[in-house]
Amino acid sequence: MISGPREARPSWLRRLVARAAARELAAFVVPGPEVARARGIDPGAAGLAIADTPRHASVLVVVGELPEGLRRAAAVAYAQMPRPRAVFAVGAENVSPLPGPDVSAALGQEDLEEGVVRLREMFAEGAFHPNAPEFDVPAIRSRTGYVCPMHPEVVREEPGQCPRCGMDLVPREAAAGEHGEGDGERDHEEAPSGEHGHAEHGAHDDMDHGGMGFMSMVEMTRDLPRSSDGLQMEWVEVPFGPLFPGLPAGLALTFTLDGDTVAEAEAERGIEGWAPLEGLSGPAETFADRLSGLDPLSPVAYRLLASRALENAAGVAPDERTGLARVGALERERAASHLNWLAGFGRLLGYSWLEERAGELQLALLWSAGPEEVARLAGEAGELARRVEWTPLLRRRLGGIGTLPAGAEASGPVARAGGSAADARRDEEAYRRLGFEPVVLRGNDALSRLRVRLAEIEQSLDLVSRAGSVSTPVVAPGGGSSGTGAATVETPRGLATLNLILEGGAVVAFEIGTPSARHLKLVKPVSEQREVADALVGIASLDLSPWEVVR
Amino acid sequence: MSFLPVVLALLAGAYLVAVLEGWVSTGRFRPAGPILSGLALLGQESLVPRTPDRIFFEAGPVLLLTSALLASAVLPLGPGVVIVDLATGALFVNAALVYVMVALVMSGWGPDAAYAMVGGFRFLGQLVGYSMPIVMVIAAVAMRAESLATTEVVESQAALWNALYQPVGFVVFMAAAMALCFLPPFDLPTAPGELAGGVVAEYTGWRLAVLRLARAVLVVTVAAAVTVFFLGGWHGPVLPPWAWSAVKTLAVAAGMLAAGRYVPRVREEHLLAWWWKLGIPLALLNIFVVGIMLVTVGG
Repeated sequence: MISGPREARPSWLRRLVARAAARELAAFVVPGPEVARARGIDPGAAGLAIADTPRHASVLVVVGELPEGLRRAAAVAYAQMPRPRAVFAVGAENVSPLPGPDVSAALGQEDLEEGVVRLREMFAEGAFHPNAPEFDVPAIRSRTGYVCPMHPEVVREEPGQCPRCGMDLVPREAAAGEHGEGDGERDHEEAPSGEHGHAEHGAHDDMDHGGMGFMSMVEMTRDLPRSSDGLQMEWVEVPFGPLFPGLPAGLALTFTLDGDTVAEAEAERGIEGWAPLEGLSGPAETFADRLSGLDPLSPVAYRLLASRALENAAGVAPDERTGLARVGALERERAASHLNWLAGFGRLLGYSWLEERAGELQLALLWSAGPEEVARLAGEAGELARRVEWTPLLRRRLGGIGTLPAGAEASGPVARAGGSAADARRDEEAYRRLGFEPVVLRGNDALSRLRVRLAEIEQSLDLVSRAGSVSTPVVAPGGGSSGTGAATVETPRGLATLNLILEGGAVVAFEIGTPSARHLKLVKPVSEQREVADALVGIASLDLSPWEVVR
Repeated sequence: MSFLPVVLALLAGAYLVAVLEGWVSTGRFRPAGPILSGLALLGQESLVPRTPDRIFFEAGPVLLLTSALLASAVLPLGPGVVIVDLATGALFVNAALVYVMVALVMSGWGPDAAYAMVGGFRFLGQLVGYSMPIVMVIAAVAMRAESLATTEVVESQAALWNALYQPVGFVVFMAAAMALCFLPPFDLPTAPGELAGGVVAEYTGWRLAVLRLARAVLVVTVAAAVTVFFLGGWHGPVLPPWAWSAVKTLAVAAGMLAAGRYVPRVREEHLLAWWWKLGIPLALLNIFVVGIMLVTVGG
């Protein structure tokens, strides 16, 4: 070896480039910007530009502890990032299999900003460090997959026979690379961009070189699957998520694309690796804390659900003041959650003003001190709602998208946008006293879901001001009590139910039902036979939270 | 020769457009931003996906830049300040800019990745929408100038800008210009939220720098075309001609960049439906009305 790594002072040009890289940090946020906002931090305000793909990012920001499945996905994303790159852990201890974080910070805006300063220093000094370690993820290598030579939509992880024609499956890499020239010519060979969703467009080589003298469309498409419009195209299986910018973080979908139409959508096998529920049983005093950690997007609702079930088991009833304070806390979370959804929806729609404004309001609401500030924000939220209502092209974009089939099991805003007044809050004493009436609209599409959520933001903020408190009181049941308890809470996404068995002051068994677990079944009907963008809008309009889909 | 001043002006314009774009998208005005991000991209690895169509992957960004540069060659910055004063200049602008579609389809196909491919073919559909109205609007502009030479087109507007003489054509052309530059709400091929970057998703390092430069040059070129065809080119009081061209071009570019922030992305089927059912009839109507005006009132 003539040249090798050696510590030396880099040239002025390298130093200049490294300093520029330090100023221009782009972040790929894991699990996603909406989780960062829900946890009260704003990477954008700290000077990190948010990248849509790991390819355009230099910093992987991990926000909060992640379940194992998401950590693996984050490692795949990191492997796809061009160097110089860094891992920035914000409130996360365990980031394996990612390399140990280059910079760590606690969860909080100030800590985040300090961390960014340290990141800049690191980039300015070490962007061209000769000993930068390699990072490779086995998942990328093993993602090759096996395909049927005749049915490119048949993809299996193991070798075997095609279920449609019985032919032996061939490795996808080989199928795509057979006609490729000189492997050695590729510099910087990288991942086939697997998990993040850059699937390969299968077997086109085979079709171009199929021994046909002339590229006859009839011959080429003869054995391809039939799509509903009669046009024959290659079908490709494309992963969307779990870290896709237009979908809730953690939701791993697989679309079978027929051109740009979603021929099939697969959602239910995609959500894996979440924290096991067994770990949640245990002492009753801390049960509410554990359950509220389940979903970072609506911790208050799950804390309340646990408190109510425990009280029910212990036979305690909260007093009127506690009831009102809970209304305040839950409604503030509902408004913040809807605003957070709105920001993510704006991102999907490419409506950047909405994305920024809703995100700002959501953070302001989360950081707000008391009902007075909430009342001020209510005015701004009303302004936002009116502007959204008057946005040109929006109605055309959303109307008729994401309609649900008759008899679909839905709850929360999704049900209320379909003309149903289903709302657990109607049966609650505290809400009745505040004169609560659910917002119900007809339409059953993405537009009416947007309108319901906009109206609910205003309604919730109004309820907060009238409840006069936003603190979350927890009533710990008397020690050592036993019994069975049941509770329901209308979370921002719909009805959540909890049944538990309390024995000697400890939760020994429980059963939980969440809105997102029910709504996950709606992904298929809202996305299949739709254009990709429409399918994504339909799915986003359901406001799924993969965190609460528990097994 | 006006080669050097025009190219320098174009690059300066591209730089300012990049500053404007950063300002619009982040809300922070950073005059040095494009230099820094360019340097940072040059210092970054430029990855090649595992099974690329190497020729398409490499050629896409370069072709995009070439296409925009070619179109700019016939756009005058001032009287006589033009690289080539072609007799068919107005048509040449359109012909050169068709390669934007070819470049994007190539960049979409090249990396062998699904998001990029969907993005590339989306732009093919987009071209089918906007390209007919663009040619028809240019035809009406040429009718008034009685010439296809871009300098003649500017001279024909000395008394009254085309934006006022044929406002319908102006509106259609502005929308088509934004679709051509794949700016929001017509950013279907790049669609950050839907396709995670689409055709640009797989480009990193210097290749991404070339793509971003090409896009900025494209925006300047198209804004300059709007200025030449509709805003009276270099005509204006007090300031020297080149300054008027620059001010108008930048104002058009700023308008195109800012407008997309306040509307959601257009759906692909609507995009095609609107261009064919509304854009083309409006462009035809424009030709008809301009014809009648030329016969009755005169240019």
